[in-house]
Amino acid sequence: MDREKLTAYLQEKFGDKIEALTCGPVEPFFLVKNKEEILQFCKDIRDDLELQIDYLCAITAVDTTEKFEIIYSVASVAKKIRFDYKVILDHDNPEIDSVIDAWAGADWYEREIWELYGVKIKNHPSLGQFLLPDDWNQGHPMRRDWDAPDFIRMPEF
Amino acid sequence: MDTKELRTEEFTVNMGPHHPSTHGVCRFKLTMDGEVIVKAEPVIGYLHRALEKICENRTFPQCIPVMDRFEYCTSMSCNMVFALAVEKLAGIQVPERAEYLRVIMLELNRIASHLIWYGTTCLDLGALTPFLYAFREREDILDLFEMTCGQRLTYNYIRIGGVSRDIPEPFVPKARKFLDEFDARVDDYEALLNGNPIFITRNKDVGVMSKELALQYGVSGPALRASGVRFDLRRDDPYGIYDRFKFNIPVYHNGDCLDRYLVRMQEMRESAKIVRQALEQMPEGEIATKISPVFKAKEGEIYSRIENSRGEMGVYIKADGKEKKPYRVKMRGGSFNQLQVMPHLVVGHKIADVVAIMASLDIIMPEVDR
Repeated sequence: MDREKLTAYLQEKFGDKIEALTCGPVEPFFLVKNKEEILQFCKDIRDDLELQIDYLCAITAVDTTEKFEIIYSVASVAKKIRFDYKVILDHDNPEIDSVIDAWAGADWYEREIWELYGVKIKNHPSLGQFLLPDDWNQGHPMRRDWDAPDFIRMPEF
Repeated sequence: MDTKELRTEEFTVNMGPHHPSTHGVCRFKLTMDGEVIVKAEPVIGYLHRALEKICENRTFPQCIPVMDRFEYCTSMSCNMVFALAVEKLAGIQVPERAEYLRVIMLELNRIASHLIWYGTTCLDLGALTPFLYAFREREDILDLFEMTCGQRLTYNYIRIGGVSRDIPEPFVPKARKFLDEFDARVDDYEALLNGNPIFITRNKDVGVMSKELALQYGVSGPALRASGVRFDLRRDDPYGIYDRFKFNIPVYHNGDCLDRYLVRMQEMRESAKIVRQALEQMPEGEIATKISPVFKAKEGEIYSRIENSRGEMGVYIKADGKEKKPYRVKMRGGSFNQLQVMPHLVVGHKIADVVAIMASLDIIMPEVDR
């Protein structure tokens, strides 16, 4: 399925729950408007016979300083489809449902997002120390406002 | 003694972090019932170097040496995946000759990485000889890399818009000589192990991964192909000029350690085939598009992926269009998912099999911890 067909198919299938974005230069990019529906959306595209999204490439979090964006990069091995979609969360109290029920491989990606960004993952079996040292108590280091104590910013060119 | 007082209980064994078979620094918390594993829990993070955070404070070309450290066994792939993503984001064209040089380097690097895997797997299983054979051929490949870019491990060779320098004159004859001998060498490797009853017993029906389990956990690359899924990004989501080459995608169906071994041995031959074709077809010409070292990419987001020797290697880049640096870089390596599925494979096996299973999945820790 090429970009236009995929976009048309998803928009017909999910209507106004999703919105096509223009930020992806090659693969299509979508926004899932309601963050409460993310798990259902993941399950729907997984079970859809035309899409068969059986493979989760990665889950990425981005801190835009006003919002958090969680980006799901997914693919279908059976149908050779690939696209991304994101949800937008508030910066103050970021919370998102776990999508482990859709793809078990989401587990570690979500643990990483919790630890490095402080985005709370609801219904996750084991959030806790993951990549950082056991005695870490200095917050969530991938946030944009976090700098290491000995960090020197690169001069502007 | 009264038999009523006799009882068994489960106990915990810490395997690693400094264990030679963990290929980096990884710890397993193993819950044991006698000699049999009941539960396994990987503990990671010992090699976390915050590469993603470092990239946020570098210009795009400066990120390439950082990517080298992401997965040091196949640094060429790490360079490639980043360069590819930025080229798509900024709309940069790559000259024809550079595309061929990239393919040659990527495939040679894949062979080198599989040779490391072959050597260390056998070491883990107690065979020393294959290691010496594998590193003899790997040395030839590293010599080729060294004469091209001066480095043997972190190459910084594939750059945004092309490659850093052209191959020197002795490269092509030396590469051809290597390839002519290589198939016979792979035969040697297989002769050492394929009929070895100890090796077969250690690997057959050990760590069986079903197709469904592999896909659930996002396992990719040789580990997925050993479970019966014919999926290779070089063919199914082609990048660069991979659609111009003819090669087979080896697939086996049992999903055990032996099949993962067989897939990788076949893949080495296929990679050699691709290098031969690329050397044949390579045109003369420019090797790089000139770009400013402080260029700005257009605002946008991209997740780009390539087939690495350990599965899908991907990088997500967000550029905000205002800065000369990436706003966010996320690295995704195949080992991350392969390690995640491992607790399901080791249950019911003995401790020695953990070593065999980890080796057969070809997990490398810097790729997991970043």
